[in-house]
Amino acid sequence: MHTGHYISGGAHGVLILWALFGGIFGSDPPDVEVAEVSVMSEAEFAAMTAPQPDMSTVEEPAALTPPVEEDAAPETPAQEREPTTPPDPVEPEVAEPDPAPQPDLPEPAPETTEDLTQPPAPAPAPEVEAPDVALRPVPRPAPRVAPEAVPDPAPEADVAPEVQETVQDSDTAETSDAEEQQATAPEAATTEIITEAEEPARAPTASVRPQTRPSRPTPEPEPEPTETAEPAPDAAPQEDVEEDAASAIAGALEEALAEPTEGPTDGPPLTQSETDGFRIAVQDCWVVDVGSQAANVTVTVAFDMDRSGQVVGSTLRMSSASGGDEAATETAFQAARRAILRCQGDGYNLPPEKFDQWKSVEMTFNPESMRIR
Amino acid sequence: MKQFVATCLTTLLLAVMAPVTALAQNGPLRIEITEGVVEPLPYAVPDFVAESADAQELAQQIARVVADDLTGTGLFREVPREAHISQITSFGSPVQFADWKAINAQALVTGAVSSEGGRVVVKFRVWDVFSGTELGEGMQFAGSPDGWRRMAHKVADQVYSRITGESGYFDSRVVFVSESGPKDQRAKRLAVMDYDGANVQYLTSGNALVLAPRFSNDGQRVLYTSYETGLPRVHVLEVGTVQSRILPGQDGVMSFAPRFAPNGQTVVYSITQGSNTDIWAMDIASGGTRQLTSAPSIETAPSYSPDGSQIVFESDRSGTQQLYVMSASGGEAQRISSGQGRYSTPVWSPRGDMIAFTKQNAGRFHIGVMRTDGSEERLLTASFLDEGPTWAPNGRVIMFARETQGAQGASSLYSVDISGRNLKRVRTPEGASDPSWGPLQ
Repeated sequence: MHTGHYISGGAHGVLILWALFGGIFGSDPPDVEVAEVSVMSEAEFAAMTAPQPDMSTVEEPAALTPPVEEDAAPETPAQEREPTTPPDPVEPEVAEPDPAPQPDLPEPAPETTEDLTQPPAPAPAPEVEAPDVALRPVPRPAPRVAPEAVPDPAPEADVAPEVQETVQDSDTAETSDAEEQQATAPEAATTEIITEAEEPARAPTASVRPQTRPSRPTPEPEPEPTETAEPAPDAAPQEDVEEDAASAIAGALEEALAEPTEGPTDGPPLTQSETDGFRIAVQDCWVVDVGSQAANVTVTVAFDMDRSGQVVGSTLRMSSASGGDEAATETAFQAARRAILRCQGDGYNLPPEKFDQWKSVEMTFNPESMRIR
Repeated sequence: MKQFVATCLTTLLLAVMAPVTALAQNGPLRIEITEGVVEPLPYAVPDFVAESADAQELAQQIARVVADDLTGTGLFREVPREAHISQITSFGSPVQFADWKAINAQALVTGAVSSEGGRVVVKFRVWDVFSGTELGEGMQFAGSPDGWRRMAHKVADQVYSRITGESGYFDSRVVFVSESGPKDQRAKRLAVMDYDGANVQYLTSGNALVLAPRFSNDGQRVLYTSYETGLPRVHVLEVGTVQSRILPGQDGVMSFAPRFAPNGQTVVYSITQGSNTDIWAMDIASGGTRQLTSAPSIETAPSYSPDGSQIVFESDRSGTQQLYVMSASGGEAQRISSGQGRYSTPVWSPRGDMIAFTKQNAGRFHIGVMRTDGSEERLLTASFLDEGPTWAPNGRVIMFARETQGAQGASSLYSVDISGRNLKRVRTPEGASDPSWGPLQ
């Protein structure tokens, strides 16, 4: 009746005795592999890594083997710290020399090294160790004052006396003899005048160490069985996406076609570039006094235009305004009106065949992003 | 990947469909503009027409002062007279707007000056060139030939007001401390000048050290601190008669940092008793006083809000100089400054929406502005020593004193737009400090 108990007790006893005297809890530390690391100069390293190895020849990651040749790549400490990490599938990135140590990326030793002009070589760790404390460089403020600080231009940008837009070919733009010009960066400016002599030391005493590259997910040990299972979970979302796309397209079609084609439909609609061209032409003449009360007012101006692209002055009117008192609103309206009239020249560059689309305009001038806060 | 392709396909198709949707657009073309340009508005001021033979020189001078006023704001840029295509030969003749459009003048000021029997009459008109309309109506000022600058300032104020929608500040005066001599033996006397540094007049002799003059809201009186009796005491001076008197107070007690209440009847100032400095208010007519603060720290530099309901002042009750706001009748104060450094000399804007202050941080001085709740602090200047801001009557410009470094360092007055632009020096015959901007006359 208690045979099972006896057998179990005996077996456990044997197991305990074996555990106690069998050396399971021995305090001997596991053997640590020690690798020779040779310090190389930068020139040597560059020369060694210049020809990239043909990684296509590396078909299977091999098990880690201790370096046996003098000209073998210096191994990273990562290999020592994580010797049990499974080898990573070969990717081109692995062969690129990276100045930062990558503890999570053990380098597989290629099995067929004879085909490689140089073995993949990670950067030597001692040369790239970051300091504990880094001083953040402080850009010197430009000695100009602007309502909004203008960032320093890109190194390749030229600072021109006047800011100009890029001239690009446009379908609607008239052909001109003007040569193509590159946009220039506005001169760097800041919101306060700071002289060099008075510049404070605003460098932080310490900064956060740069984050390490995120660990690469551990590859599946046996990808083969999962391949057959993968399509199943993907099937449903794919269907959803396709359904969403189909419904969105159908909705757009329905919305577009269901509307009666009444109103000013004589001629094709304005393209986005044509509308943008009109908008940019006016905004270039919209002078905003950022410190005034009028800079708080958003005003909408309505007007009609003739076929030559000129504004019918008598139709200019304020259709709505918000954000200020009567005087500020009137000033905002006058500024908007000046902008519309001043930049029209001989007429705004709008396609005549689409006149019905732009013969009546409502233009809203919103200085919110420009005013002083 | 398939999902990405599907998304791209959808986006592409929707983009293709957009014109179809636009085809059905009904109503006007709607465009929103959110980016403009921040630049001076170009304008033209041709010489005013001399309608009498002896007004020729005056007509030119007045036009120049008008142009200087407008251009000096930094908001306007004069189109040089050499570029003018058409000339204004008669005040009543129609304006050739095409000629002014051609030189990109957005506003045009025309005027005429006549002089008869020792009386000068200046009349002017402001035109919106691109709409071909007159801004406001024609106006004229009359005065003595000696007051031609003031008439020119009034014309400029009108032009400024009609273009910007805000009142001007050109016909205003500034009281300040004029300084002469080396730093260790500097003579200081009160002086008053036009806002642009012209017409300087001295109000005190320079025998006694004077500090911190403050205009009343009507511009008729000036409060200041004088060491005439050996201790700093608050005086009040009538600008018209240049007569001054000491405000009543206890003998041997220091009083300083005075400022008028908006009603002109109350003066708020600081009194030091022992090591404690507090803010008091005094009714000028009756001499009655009331203590507004009672903290065991230094409270000083009070300034009323335009409606007279609140007072902003500086205090070191938290350990460093910071700005606080309390009711005009005293009581609990709320700290509004929160940045690093020390804040001092707060002044409430005439608009009521901002407070200007001096800030000392990291070895430099700044003039800055903040909202009345302490938010949106912006520093406008930075130098070895900037201090003592004062607001233009329209709340658009701040004047302050800047002192240069070293034993030979001198103090002078500067003005800056509240946008931080247009920092410029105000010309004074000698060194100058402690400006206080008076009202628009």
